[in-house]
Amino acid sequence: MSKNISRRKFLVRGGLGTLGVLAIGTYVLRNPIRRQIIDFADSFIAPYSGTGTEPNLWFEITKNNTIVLHSPKVEMGQGTFTGLAQIAADELDINIDQIEVIAASTASGVVDSLGTGGSLSVASLWQPLREMAATMREMIKIEAAKKLQIPLANLSTKNGIVSSNNQQISYVDAIKEVTEWKIPDTPKLKDLKDYKLVGKPIARIDLKTKVFGNSIFGMDAEMENMLHAAIIRPEHIGATFKSANYQKAEKMPGIVKVVQIDDWVGIIAETYAQALAAKMEVDVEWNIPKIWTEEDIRTLISVGNGSEMVVQKEGNLLEKDDKNILEIEFKSPLGAHAQMEPNGAVASFKDGKITVILSTQVIGITQNQVAKAFAIDKDNVNIIPTYLGGGFGRRLNTSHAIQAVQLSKEIGRPVKYFFTRKEEFQNDMFRPPTHHIMKGKLNSDGLIENLEHHFASGNVAIDSTLMPGIAHTILGADFGAIRGGSIHYSAIKNIRSIQWHKTLPFATSWWRSLGLLANTFAIESFVDELALQSNKNPVTLRLAQIKDNEEGVRLKNVIEKAAKESKYSDEVVNGRAMGFACSTDTGTPCAQVAEVSIVNSEITVHKITCVMDCGIAVNPDQVKAQCEGAMIMAMSASMYEKMYIEDGQLQPTIFGPYDMALLKHTPKEINIHLLQGVDKPLPVGEPPLGPIAAAIGNAVRRITGQRLTEMPFKLS
Amino acid sequence: MKIAFSINNKDVSVDILDGNTPLLWVIRDILDLKGTKFGCGKAACGACTLHVNDVAVRSCSYAVKFAEGKNITTIEGLGNAENPHPVQQAWIEEVVPQCGYCQPGFIMATAALLKENNKPTDEDIDKNIINICRCATYYRMRKAIHRAAELTRETKI
Amino acid sequence: MKKLKILYLIPLLLLGGILLASNYSNKKSDYISLKEKTIHPPKNKDNFDKMMDVLTHPRCMNCHPSDNIPKQGIESHPHYFGMEGGKNDQGFEATKCMTCHQTENNNYSGVPGAPHWGLAPQSMAWKGLTRQEIAAVMLNKETNGGKNHEEIIKHLTEDDLVLWAWNPGVNAAGIKREKPPVSQEEFKEVVEAWFADGAIIPEK
Repeated sequence: MSKNISRRKFLVRGGLGTLGVLAIGTYVLRNPIRRQIIDFADSFIAPYSGTGTEPNLWFEITKNNTIVLHSPKVEMGQGTFTGLAQIAADELDINIDQIEVIAASTASGVVDSLGTGGSLSVASLWQPLREMAATMREMIKIEAAKKLQIPLANLSTKNGIVSSNNQQISYVDAIKEVTEWKIPDTPKLKDLKDYKLVGKPIARIDLKTKVFGNSIFGMDAEMENMLHAAIIRPEHIGATFKSANYQKAEKMPGIVKVVQIDDWVGIIAETYAQALAAKMEVDVEWNIPKIWTEEDIRTLISVGNGSEMVVQKEGNLLEKDDKNILEIEFKSPLGAHAQMEPNGAVASFKDGKITVILSTQVIGITQNQVAKAFAIDKDNVNIIPTYLGGGFGRRLNTSHAIQAVQLSKEIGRPVKYFFTRKEEFQNDMFRPPTHHIMKGKLNSDGLIENLEHHFASGNVAIDSTLMPGIAHTILGADFGAIRGGSIHYSAIKNIRSIQWHKTLPFATSWWRSLGLLANTFAIESFVDELALQSNKNPVTLRLAQIKDNEEGVRLKNVIEKAAKESKYSDEVVNGRAMGFACSTDTGTPCAQVAEVSIVNSEITVHKITCVMDCGIAVNPDQVKAQCEGAMIMAMSASMYEKMYIEDGQLQPTIFGPYDMALLKHTPKEINIHLLQGVDKPLPVGEPPLGPIAAAIGNAVRRITGQRLTEMPFKLS
Repeated sequence: MKIAFSINNKDVSVDILDGNTPLLWVIRDILDLKGTKFGCGKAACGACTLHVNDVAVRSCSYAVKFAEGKNITTIEGLGNAENPHPVQQAWIEEVVPQCGYCQPGFIMATAALLKENNKPTDEDIDKNIINICRCATYYRMRKAIHRAAELTRETKI
Repeated sequence: MKKLKILYLIPLLLLGGILLASNYSNKKSDYISLKEKTIHPPKNKDNFDKMMDVLTHPRCMNCHPSDNIPKQGIESHPHYFGMEGGKNDQGFEATKCMTCHQTENNNYSGVPGAPHWGLAPQSMAWKGLTRQEIAAVMLNKETNGGKNHEEIIKHLTEDDLVLWAWNPGVNAAGIKREKPPVSQEEFKEVVEAWFADGAIIPEK
């Protein structure tokens, strides 16, 4: 996409398109104290110009001379809106308080067909957005030149003002009467050193709205004349609808209709509380073909079972009867996304047109799926994203959008429904359980001669909405499950990484960092064990096993920096030990050192040092925020979290029993150091999830002698 | 039944069939104050925390009938951009929120803590602030809570 | 009504010299007939056992911990999220019991509730005690908050928080909580009878 952008005409929206968005916008943001979007209603909007066949839109200029960026990516906490604002504002020559970012809807602007994920938002838009913004700035200048009757070359831009020696005009005044835009070729982008916002730790642009409780999430969206619904789904894995008795529920106050569709029952009511109360009075019988057990799942996901794919192959495979082989088995459990905002949607199906407001990471896919489900043209489906109350990959699947539309279709009014927390836990698109067998051998110098990672996982990318079914056949491996599964010690002569795959009887899918969490845990714990076996400092051993190519040098740099900043030592001092681990994910190397002790028989992480080379940190403060959050989330997943199967149901179904890291578990000290090994932004939001589990395990190994091999960690 | 209470210093009266309806839904769907969030409906995550007569309450588990005659404060009534509550001010200074969904609950829980204890230790914070944040903004929260305590003490002097 | 009063007074008289102020017996002695003072040891033991079946049931024990940590569920796991009784048995400074627990059960959330929800005072910590020890702690004014027998009976049979055990509502999953193995009515009878028989703690 990046290279062609400069040839592509982009459109500045006007008239009709604007009204369409605003009409819906005012429903979403009904309350007058909500975001300043209401201001758009009477703001001056640059006239529509372009071919008319692509209603693409990136920027709007308001009468207050601020610019609204319609982001193709959504904001789910990762700080993308802020990063994009910095990038765009720098090329637009405006201040940070002169730009606002909202998520584009399918009707109002450009949405990314791949969705928001993979920690790619800032990285992937770095080039096209700068080009868009720079072109926009030139377009404004062209109009200013006409208005001021000054040659273009004599004009400069700053703070949203076009100036010559003796005249100036605001952006909005310059373009006020434009009916036809002249779109120049993309101008030369600014030098990195000339950026005033990129690279600066400015405050998140959504900070205040979130602190004062004004931000609108999917759960907060409304439509006029809307009804509420609650849904009953099967609780047993693989269960299907048999029969239901909802006579009593239908007569309860506020109940408008009870419907049964596919394998669920929907209760539509005037208020949500009424729908919820009636839900308690509905009896549903299900066909339960099999009572699945925890054992079934473990058997399915085990090395040697399912389809095999060689991910990495260097040199020879270890001989079976070699007595010097070290072999350790690792496991990770089924994990839940547990994002704080439950999934749901507000939908309207009227006169052949569908509107859905929801928290989604895949606006374009949601649109396609809804259009397909109701056999209507996708131009008649408008998907409006809100702020997301957490994403973490969960909102890459939005089949609930279809359910909401079905409910609206049944009743002829807009309907809002969302998951209870129990539904959320039982119908998650889980992080699959994994099983790893690590094998390795040292040579006579105490260096690693062979290293093998044999691992099994349920689906991550396979069968997901993001990947066509054929992808598996073409790719062979589940490329989501193999994230972090390759061995990053490039200097080792004999390497194998072999993935085994099996599909589980319930959905498993994308969970922040995908396979990285479990794969890095296995590999980096094992390498640490080899370091202990060879009596080498684990940092020294790691450095010795990495080639000096570009990738290798960057990885070595983060390792060395982490060792230095943490003052890494192999010694256990006063019951406190350090654990070291590193990984490279999507081109971003990261090394972490955890300082751990055992307090009241519990593993306590006191301090983490994290060094990451993510290229250009567009907003270093938010890159650090991502590191902090990602590391604690990974700590939570490796130390506390676990879904299991009981009586054929996925359990637990509530926080508490689903044990997660709280404030009290958070290290008191987190030091993050960012390196810039390349001159472009790289993915940030997932790479830091890699090393922490192994770093903690490696520290515990030094304190207690116990090698932690299974998440969630348990001291023996 | 009619239930009258004060919310963010404004007297309101709601007419509701079932007095057991969770206060959360009355506030969100009838009074249209969307800052108080639904996270679990089981009083387990704290996203719906607000104040009832200055005490932190998880409103998903609080029958609206109990609100009769009480003073309720939600995130919208705690402070605003012109006049932020010390906790909100500290949250801004430390750039705490990520996705932001759980933040009103944390801010309300923290405001309740500082009312009782304007110099909380780390241990006090660990015990009292037990809401859940999946983005795990906890590290900054701890800093922000200490900062908010400082701001609270300054205001009082 | 008269019978009830008599039942209350019997233990007061019996233990008057040891535990209770003599003014009680002085005032009300004319209600008592000597016949009713007879003690029935086997029956006493039976009443005691039934009473203790209730008091040692998780519905009661969960809020009489010896570590200031409330317990939850029929398996009595520590309260999630690290909740404790705190300094006054009402939770922490800001996150109190009443942050989640109201004066009645909540069917939407499955959070139990009753008036003055909170932990029993530390002096009434029962966890880890034998049935005999629990009874002794309960009868002892030093540990029971200065309650005389009449007040203990009242607490056991009339206090809303105690009676919650027979109206425990549903849990977070919407499943009904288990009640104590003895009905509320029978509990009242055995408690009154045990006190009437002298509140004698049988040997193990």
